Amino acid sequence: MIKDTQIQNGLARMMLGGTLIAATIMLAGLIWYLAANPGIKAGDHIFSGEPKYFENPVQMFQRALEVKETGHRRSFLMLGILLLLINPALRVAFAAVGFVAQRDRLYAGISLFVFAVLVFSFFW
Amino acid sequence: MIRESMDELTFDILISVAAFVAGVLGSLIGLGGGVIITPVLVLGFGVDIRYAMGAALASVIATSSGAAAAFLRDGISNMRIGLFLCVATTVGAVCGAMLAVVLDQSVLSVIFGAALLVTVGLSLRKNPDAANSENTSDPLAEKLRLPGTMPTDHGPMNYSVQRVIPGFAMMWVAGVLSGLLGIGSGAFKVVAMDQLMRIPFKVTTATSNFMIGVTAAASVGIYLKRGYLDPALVAPVALGVLAGAFVGAKLLPVAPVKLLRIIFLSLVSVIAVQMVLRGLGINF
Repeated sequence: MIKDTQIQNGLARMMLGGTLIAATIMLAGLIWYLAANPGIKAGDHIFSGEPKYFENPVQMFQRALEVKETGHRRSFLMLGILLLLINPALRVAFAAVGFVAQRDRLYAGISLFVFAVLVFSFFW
Repeated sequence: MIRESMDELTFDILISVAAFVAGVLGSLIGLGGGVIITPVLVLGFGVDIRYAMGAALASVIATSSGAAAAFLRDGISNMRIGLFLCVATTVGAVCGAMLAVVLDQSVLSVIFGAALLVTVGLSLRKNPDAANSENTSDPLAEKLRLPGTMPTDHGPMNYSVQRVIPGFAMMWVAGVLSGLLGIGSGAFKVVAMDQLMRIPFKVTTATSNFMIGVTAAASVGIYLKRGYLDPALVAPVALGVLAGAFVGAKLLPVAPVKLLRIIFLSLVSVIAVQMVLRGLGINF
């Protein structure tokens, strides 16, 4: 039988590890992005949205891997950010698995519901 | 504004330094990075509030993951309470984010300033004493197995959980604010758990940290779809806040927290008023 403390320690390790990996990719991506775009003006004072391919995580992933596409470096940077953003969803999924292993139906259901809301918000 | 003449590199260095300072102060004072970083970006750097909210929300997720990990390992946070209440906060966050994308940016600015003032008010309250252990819990809390134990100096202590439904409702509101404004709304979550549900303060803050990231993740997908996340802004801000929060946690035992609190909370109040004025079209 899996104990609550085991789930908690696993979660803690995943959260910390995931954040560190995401931060590393973000830092590398940022340097890489800035190196390719020296001297461009920051344009955040006017809201213009972001490219279409950022709307869907799957499309963005493809774009990040295709070197010749425009926005490739920007997509790579976005990938690091996405890794950071999905950490909480993984956290909830991990908890759900733990509760299923404990045969705790109520909390497996609650975790899965929260996970479903998170997935819905990303792909809706 | 100075930033019109700035290139991306200078701009990124400046905002990561600002984010770093916000991260240090945020973790020393106990306010999340979100409520500070948005006004700094909007008022100080002239960033559109929608991009600022996107960057702030992403940094909230970063710091929440780091802080919550430490608390989980100590066995202080209550996973069942956290996940159960996340049902309310995530649904609320989706509602809030959907509302945010149709509201005008000046309206957002006013609501943001008002929420910031309430947050300052909430953090000025004294931390109440630990809830008493002999209380019986709300029957619904028992049914949901929410009451738990926390480690203390005198060994594990049992605690009860009260008023589940009002707490749940307040959490929904905290979720709406989080999605609407791109903040973690930690202060509101703490009030729900501590004041309404009478959960011990240590458990409350630890559990709230776990919940903040999950709540923020529910609206960040919607922000992403609407183009609120500019990677060239999000990355330096999130990295700065993350590094700042880490340093802040290390400084906590030696820093003059009381003095910093007073200075910082007054500063935040001024910023809040400025956000409201800006939203109303009064610039100075």
